[in-house]
Amino acid sequence: MNTLDSKIPEGPLAQKWTNYKANQKLVNPANKRKLDVIVVGTGLAGASAAASLGAMGFNVDIFCISDSPRRAHSIAAQGGINAAKNYQNDGDSVGRLFYDTIKGGDYRAREANVYRLAEVSNDIIDQCVAQGVPFAREYGGLLDNRSFGGAQVSRTFYARGQTGQQLLLGAYGALSHQIARGTVKLHERHEMLDLVVVDGKARGIIARDLTTGEIKRYAAHAVVLATGGYGNIYFLSTNAMNSNGSAEWCCHKKGAYFANPCFVQIHPTCIPVHGDYQSKLTLMSESLRNDGRIWVPKKKEDVEALRKGTLKPTEIKEEDRDYYLERRYPAFGNLVPRDVASRAAKERCDAGYGVNNTGLAVFLDFSTAIQRLGRDVIEARYGNLFQMYEKITAVNPYETPMMIYPAIHYTMGGIWVDYELQTTIPGLFAAGEANFSDHGANRLGASALMQGLADGYFVLPYTLQNYLADEIYSGKVSANSPEFDQAEENVRQRIDRLMSIKGTKTVDHFHKKLGLIMWDYVGMGRNAEGLQKGLTLIKELEEEFWKDVQITGTADSMNPELEKAIRLADYFELAKLMAKDAYHRNESCGGHFREEYQTEDGETLRNDNDYMYVAAWEYQGHNQDETLHKEPLVYQDIEIKQRNYK
Amino acid sequence: MNFTLKIWRQENAKAKGRFETYKVENISSDCSFLEMLDILNESLISNKIAHPVCFDNDCREGICGMCGLYINGRPHGNDDGVTTCQLHMRKFKDGETIWIEPWRAKAFPVIRDLVVDRTAYDKIIQAGGYVSVSTGGVPDANSILVSKDKADKAMDAAECIGCGACVAACKNASAMLFVSAKVSHLALLPQGKVEAANRVQKMVEKMDELGFGNCTNTYACEAECPKLIKRSNIARLNREWICARVGKEK
Amino acid sequence: MNLPKIASISRKILVACVGLFLLVFLLVHMGINLCLLRPDDGEWYSIACNFMGTNYIIKVFEVVLFAALIAHIIITVALQIQNWKARPVRYHQPSKSKTSAMSKTMIWTGGLVFVFLALHFVNFYFVKLGLVEGKYMIQTEHALSSSELQAKYMAYTQGKLSPEEMATFQTEMEAVQGLMIKAESEGLYSDDMKWIRNLSAEDVKPVEGIVEGIEPDFYNMAFELFGNKVYSVIYLILFVALAFHLIHAMQSAFQTLGLNHNKYNKFIEGFSWVYAIIIALGFAAVPVYIMFFV
Repeated sequence: MNTLDSKIPEGPLAQKWTNYKANQKLVNPANKRKLDVIVVGTGLAGASAAASLGAMGFNVDIFCISDSPRRAHSIAAQGGINAAKNYQNDGDSVGRLFYDTIKGGDYRAREANVYRLAEVSNDIIDQCVAQGVPFAREYGGLLDNRSFGGAQVSRTFYARGQTGQQLLLGAYGALSHQIARGTVKLHERHEMLDLVVVDGKARGIIARDLTTGEIKRYAAHAVVLATGGYGNIYFLSTNAMNSNGSAEWCCHKKGAYFANPCFVQIHPTCIPVHGDYQSKLTLMSESLRNDGRIWVPKKKEDVEALRKGTLKPTEIKEEDRDYYLERRYPAFGNLVPRDVASRAAKERCDAGYGVNNTGLAVFLDFSTAIQRLGRDVIEARYGNLFQMYEKITAVNPYETPMMIYPAIHYTMGGIWVDYELQTTIPGLFAAGEANFSDHGANRLGASALMQGLADGYFVLPYTLQNYLADEIYSGKVSANSPEFDQAEENVRQRIDRLMSIKGTKTVDHFHKKLGLIMWDYVGMGRNAEGLQKGLTLIKELEEEFWKDVQITGTADSMNPELEKAIRLADYFELAKLMAKDAYHRNESCGGHFREEYQTEDGETLRNDNDYMYVAAWEYQGHNQDETLHKEPLVYQDIEIKQRNYK
Repeated sequence: MNFTLKIWRQENAKAKGRFETYKVENISSDCSFLEMLDILNESLISNKIAHPVCFDNDCREGICGMCGLYINGRPHGNDDGVTTCQLHMRKFKDGETIWIEPWRAKAFPVIRDLVVDRTAYDKIIQAGGYVSVSTGGVPDANSILVSKDKADKAMDAAECIGCGACVAACKNASAMLFVSAKVSHLALLPQGKVEAANRVQKMVEKMDELGFGNCTNTYACEAECPKLIKRSNIARLNREWICARVGKEK
Repeated sequence: MNLPKIASISRKILVACVGLFLLVFLLVHMGINLCLLRPDDGEWYSIACNFMGTNYIIKVFEVVLFAALIAHIIITVALQIQNWKARPVRYHQPSKSKTSAMSKTMIWTGGLVFVFLALHFVNFYFVKLGLVEGKYMIQTEHALSSSELQAKYMAYTQGKLSPEEMATFQTEMEAVQGLMIKAESEGLYSDDMKWIRNLSAEDVKPVEGIVEGIEPDFYNMAFELFGNKVYSVIYLILFVALAFHLIHAMQSAFQTLGLNHNKYNKFIEGFSWVYAIIIALGFAAVPVYIMFFV
């Protein structure tokens, strides 16, 4: 087993990034024009990276599976973006943001990366404001902040409930500026299907034109992967329908290690599943927990009556309600972190107290807050969310308690990267949710936007240049090498194989089944036995998929069924790795909760002695056991504590 | 609930399209419109009736702007302030016949079935819908003061999701609401004011060039915008245009 | 009909400016029309017509007005063609978007107004230009004291006329006398005796070139035209179309010129309605009065 070199620069934590930048290699302007970079993905990380690299003078090709870069799922982030500006004079600092992020991640993130993230967070806000992002303002014209979970300061910048949208549109604007200048070329409706590695270096990609089905080759001196997370493996998640893990997976198959695949974040406040036809779960902002009280009935007969519809939730007496978060966590009450709140809801539902016809929901009740503050105040605070809830469920949350349930939201795991965001394949970089770097085992609210933009605007432009400085002698990369031939041939074969199955069941049929297996065995609560069983079930389902899936249409035309099938085929393999990773990590931390490892009160029980490392997996071939590489996590500047929210 | 669907089917951009009739049964009223189409597609595949109906969709929570169908004579269907993915079947009558058409505009050619090509919007943005700053070298965020009122108005305009409903609704297939939303958003902020004159001219010229119609102030766009973007933005665009042209030096 | 290099918004702004100018003209025109309703036997009306027909400033404005009208039509038609081209494949289902009927039918109501204008020109403006025959009137003073006849009369008394000239002079004298007799017997004098009116082209023909100041008699033409019920009904229908056109036109022009403010939008909208209704009622008043009260 070779150890991983994370290339963390020397020096004190606060000086590492400064030192790196002072010593990195640069490329002169004339040479930049001769260097090609491929960026895959147009979310916050991809768009900001392409815009920045284009502005610097590199030739950039950017790929997008949707019809426009502006559709990327970063757009759906609601709450805000963190930065250590300390505009509110409440004692915030880079150090404190760094500390909160490490602690929130349950001490499973790389210290140097997180510190750098906190450091550049301020530059992000400056950059976005300069781009014209309409952040919320105070009456004096200065920027406004709100507070968010996991922090004692107000450091979150926001643009109503659409911060992600506004930041993405800012990055999209910057990208459009570069496209207009001709430094960036946009390839919309193109999906990356393979990475091309020449002489051990990433040299290009194979992509499918989703409009015509044409398989195309693109060569470059470096490839940046910014394709987001793989939460859709659960079928039902808060991710967009087209979000997928295939780009990551094909890179993994070509030699990029996959880190901490089992670290998945589950968001506690989503609108519950209402039927088996459901395609997607909608997130309700975490801010609702500021005034809402979460409860389930105390009595089983009330639960039965609720499900039958003979009893209304408002008719259940106060003493018959179990405000389980307030009961279990008197200090934090309804405001415990995401992973804790999610598990507590699951615990009640598993015990048979769940409401809704499925038994998989809990109440989020605003009646106390409405009595105390008045309906007007609640409307001013949450009006748009209440309206959205009513649109979806046709239930008026001012009168009847909302029903919520946890849902898959974000994947902390991803492609392993070093300090430079370079993967184990030289020339392949990963940014944003696609890499594993900054959130450890649990991500804090308003930090995903920060990380995506930090990677794209302020990290990659430096580290990628450092890499490209050595590439100026290699000349134009040709797309006619045998490696490209081979990669294209592999893609074609894979597509042909899928198209030739001509089975009886739809892709979604298998995806829904996989989602259920993942949710049941590799979901919120995991145990060794369940993970083993899950692994078996995944393998069985995968075999059935390859025998019985039916894909209509042809490969040489627009064919969403084929797109979904290619993605699902990769998900099967990723699912096995997730189960394996979850099985190997004999501890509970952050979003990874192993039922065998919990405190007496049912809280996560970390094992810092044996598992304070990043698990980076190396692909060995289909159905071959992946090899584990460990990157030990060393915390020099931080005291390690058990999280406690009682 | 049961529905009869009349759906536009078209193999590819060049093929001649036609309406096909399908039936869906036992649809829950809680089902979203796109989930209803998912159910239809599942049955089309399982029963080997036809290739599933292609339609654009992504986030399914009303923010990405990817989905967009012309349903019974209205973009995004018979509900106000929602995208197609947020439209629910409870808005329809049981047994109803539902006509589903793609956006129709010269600038939005049909790619397949209900999928249209909206890259024209990207081209308009590329013509100037941004502030020309590169990464780095920008002032501290709080050194640019923006009044709350202006920031709020800018945000109202910036909420545009680029779905194309305004073009689809407009009898002239005009993109004025879309263009004006971006022009307004940036013109209202000091950061965007600097190149406002250039921006409005470039974007409008590009809009004309791409084959969009012009605005005859019917305000169908405003009535159908899922983000409720106001016609006042179009007036602001006109003002910006006049100022830009009057102040233009040869 | 393509006007290249002028952006759609510039064209629209032109249409709006011209439209607002036409709106002002309509008010003036309506004012003159309403003079017909005064029981002064056309005194005010004739003065107004005379002023409009002879004042030099008005003559300049007449050119501007025609240019405006033609520009308005050409540009809107060009814009409309661009708009039709912008959606080559129509929807199967008719639009159910919430919009006003007026805003969507501008090109059609505009077309009806154009039809009306054509009719109007034939009946009135072409008469003025002498392209079409109408009714005429002559100032009594002029008829009695034509300077040319005076001069010939002087020559006649001095015996300076040649026999040929004598013959012409006599014919001319007879023509004028004939006109005077006709006026006397048929009561063609206006109340103040200043005008001989309601003359047909036949009546005027013999005195043409002899008597100065032959003018179209719009007053009597109006009464005769509106006496025709079919014409009046067509006129009224077309003015409903004009009202529809104007209701949207004014607020639309404000919007196009960028004058939109949530404080004043309601006022502008209300004002558009009031203006359109006033114009329609004002113009309709004349035929309605003539149809029912004359």
